[in-house]
Amino acid sequence: MGSMSRWLDVEAGADDININTLPTNVTFSDLQNDNEVKLIIGDFGRGDDGPRLKIFKGAMQISDLTLPDLPLGVVSFYAVDSNPRPQPVIAVAFSSSVHFYRNLKLFYKYYLPSVELNAGELDIWKQLTNPSNHNEVIILKLTESLHNMPHKVLSIQSRDFLTLTFDEQLEYLENTRELPKRRSGEIVCISSIKLSSVDKHAVSCLVLGTEDGEVIVLDSQTFTQTNVVNISPVKKTPFQIVTTGVYNVDYRITVATREKSVCLLKRDWKAGRILFNTDDHIIAIEVFTTDNSVLVICADKTFSCYNRKGRKQWSLILEHRPICLTLVPISHLGMTLSAVALVSGHVTLYDGKYPRDNIFIRGGHLLLKILKRTADFNSNSTGIESSEANISQRPWLIPKKSKLFLEQAMRERENPKAMHEAFQQELNRLRLLTAQTLLEAYRKSDNFVGAGNMEPIRLSAEVEGLGPVFVVTLIVHNTSSERAVSGLSVLFQVISTGYRVHTPYIKVPLIAPGNQLKFPIKVEEVFSENVNPDVFFRNVTGQAGDGSVIKVLLLKEGKVSPVLAATVTMPPTDPMMIPYDKLETSNFGQNISQK
Amino acid sequence: MGLLDKLSSWMGGGGKVVTVLVLGLDNSGKTTMLRTLTTTEQEGQRQGPGASSVPTVGQRQENFQSGGVSFRAWDVSGAARLRSLWERHYRHCDAVIFVVDSADHLRLVVARSELELMLSHPDMSGRRLPLLVLANKSDAPHALSAPHVASALGLERITDKPWHVCASSALSGEGLGDGVSWLARQLREKH
Repeated sequence: MGSMSRWLDVEAGADDININTLPTNVTFSDLQNDNEVKLIIGDFGRGDDGPRLKIFKGAMQISDLTLPDLPLGVVSFYAVDSNPRPQPVIAVAFSSSVHFYRNLKLFYKYYLPSVELNAGELDIWKQLTNPSNHNEVIILKLTESLHNMPHKVLSIQSRDFLTLTFDEQLEYLENTRELPKRRSGEIVCISSIKLSSVDKHAVSCLVLGTEDGEVIVLDSQTFTQTNVVNISPVKKTPFQIVTTGVYNVDYRITVATREKSVCLLKRDWKAGRILFNTDDHIIAIEVFTTDNSVLVICADKTFSCYNRKGRKQWSLILEHRPICLTLVPISHLGMTLSAVALVSGHVTLYDGKYPRDNIFIRGGHLLLKILKRTADFNSNSTGIESSEANISQRPWLIPKKSKLFLEQAMRERENPKAMHEAFQQELNRLRLLTAQTLLEAYRKSDNFVGAGNMEPIRLSAEVEGLGPVFVVTLIVHNTSSERAVSGLSVLFQVISTGYRVHTPYIKVPLIAPGNQLKFPIKVEEVFSENVNPDVFFRNVTGQAGDGSVIKVLLLKEGKVSPVLAATVTMPPTDPMMIPYDKLETSNFGQNISQK
Repeated sequence: MGLLDKLSSWMGGGGKVVTVLVLGLDNSGKTTMLRTLTTTEQEGQRQGPGASSVPTVGQRQENFQSGGVSFRAWDVSGAARLRSLWERHYRHCDAVIFVVDSADHLRLVVARSELELMLSHPDMSGRRLPLLVLANKSDAPHALSAPHVASALGLERITDKPWHVCASSALSGEGLGDGVSWLARQLREKH
């Protein structure tokens, strides 16, 4: 790592956390409405431990729920809009159902609508359940024909039946009389979309992707289907859904499919369309909410960006196989980074196509990093060398030789001597002007830093207050490291009569080398009996004009001219602070009428 | 301020007024701590401690007395986007009270980085200001002990300032007295 890291590492003991899950099962939510975001993980468990829903507050696990099946997606959203703010709902998707948890309690189960059974399959089952057919030859023949049917259209009962051994099949058929009823659909991915507002706590509804290539939108209150659309005219199987926009206004549902293509669904479309195809299998996609451009990581170690029309913008080759992709919005810098996790455990943050930061994490662990308040993601990043290499590879932007340039070059070749002389003359004139200005500043002592032969002193002033009484803090700083300064005094010179300085003359005691002294001095703006109405329209933050200048002269014993001088421009008095009695006696109303 | 308060400040306060800067992350308990300190001084005339306070925006000033020293305390907002305002106060302060939420394990590193930023600021480094670190919310479950907080903040590396850490509870006022009396002792010795 080059200089300091941008991240603060949380050292709270997160070492004993053993997580085994996929990126879709990880989400964040302000679960207890205490403005503290919790990490929610649908864990597969290891060994004998079954799947569990784990809630983390910081690095501490605060809750643990047993799940009935392996989760394939966890989403958190607000289902109702009420005041005070309702608790968010956690939706956990399983193979054919979605369980909704509120307050960490299961309150609703949604099942995908089932599909009518294939006629051929039903026919086989009718024969299988007939007791007269229960001999080896017929059962083997029937199982064989069941096997030959496409696996996808089979019901769960048939699939289970096919995995049994022959004895088990016999026993199963002895006990079963009923036919498989209907085939239930399979959920493959889950996401949510804001219903009518992009507000952080706005109501969202669930979006499900099914094995049959459909996208189902569920109503936010009743959890029933409100919209079912095929993602593509050709058969495609989705595996990741990213939504942008607002459901009731305009939205885009971007779907990554197992068939190496990304499909797009928009409002009022009867079916989705293919946005673009990739060379290899897609691992994950992300969509920028600002311009709807799509980031894709693929199994061939590429990380690419496509614009909203599906045209490839750029592509990078990664060092290892990527496994996960997410967007990292950094709101206070107004930028969105993308983070790509590699199978090696490295996470790289990209700003566009340029890497900005690197993080390493061991498998199964939880790492918490907090971005420093002062961190930025400019190109001179920490720890990344390749970004500079990338920039140097880009060709320089050299403009073409213009006609103007060619003519100038011609003139330079024709009369070089005259041009050189003119340049030298200008240079000498500039030097003379510089010397004259310096001399004048020295003569008038109109400088606030002493250098060379002058006293090694720096004089600075600060003005505080709203008026009419201001405090001007003078700071006399001895910049020398070995010489003490003595015999100084400060004199205030007020140019106009508009200000009164309470202590116009101060004797400065000896200042030790490297030390500084502060003098708070009260300066009052004096208003005449007739307050000019313009006073009320002065800009409070700006300067009060030429009359507001106070000169501070630093004098030294035995010297005729001041050593240093500083000019303090006083801010105008806040109109609210102008003394009331002055307003009473003023007759500017009459002034106006006279005008 | 009533006449009695003025009288007591003339007679008992000794007249020494020091400016202390109360810093800390948001939700660490700065405002509550100051309210507890001011109400115990004035015999709970205002709203009693325990009432929840709203997050401070910008800054407020509170006055209280302890150990013969009158404190003028600047309560500065700890919200992340307002933390850059802290340095405006550095030049004028005589002491710093740094309040840490000792139950917020996650953001201890943030507190540490803000403390380091504050100590390395040109207006602070090299000045011998007493630094009082309050490991606040010590009554909360999972709260770290004061030595833990001290080591998590890396206080042992501060060599140019006298510092003191004490566990406190701004709601009950427990531990505040010890800390503030240490601060008063330091400031009396210095001036």
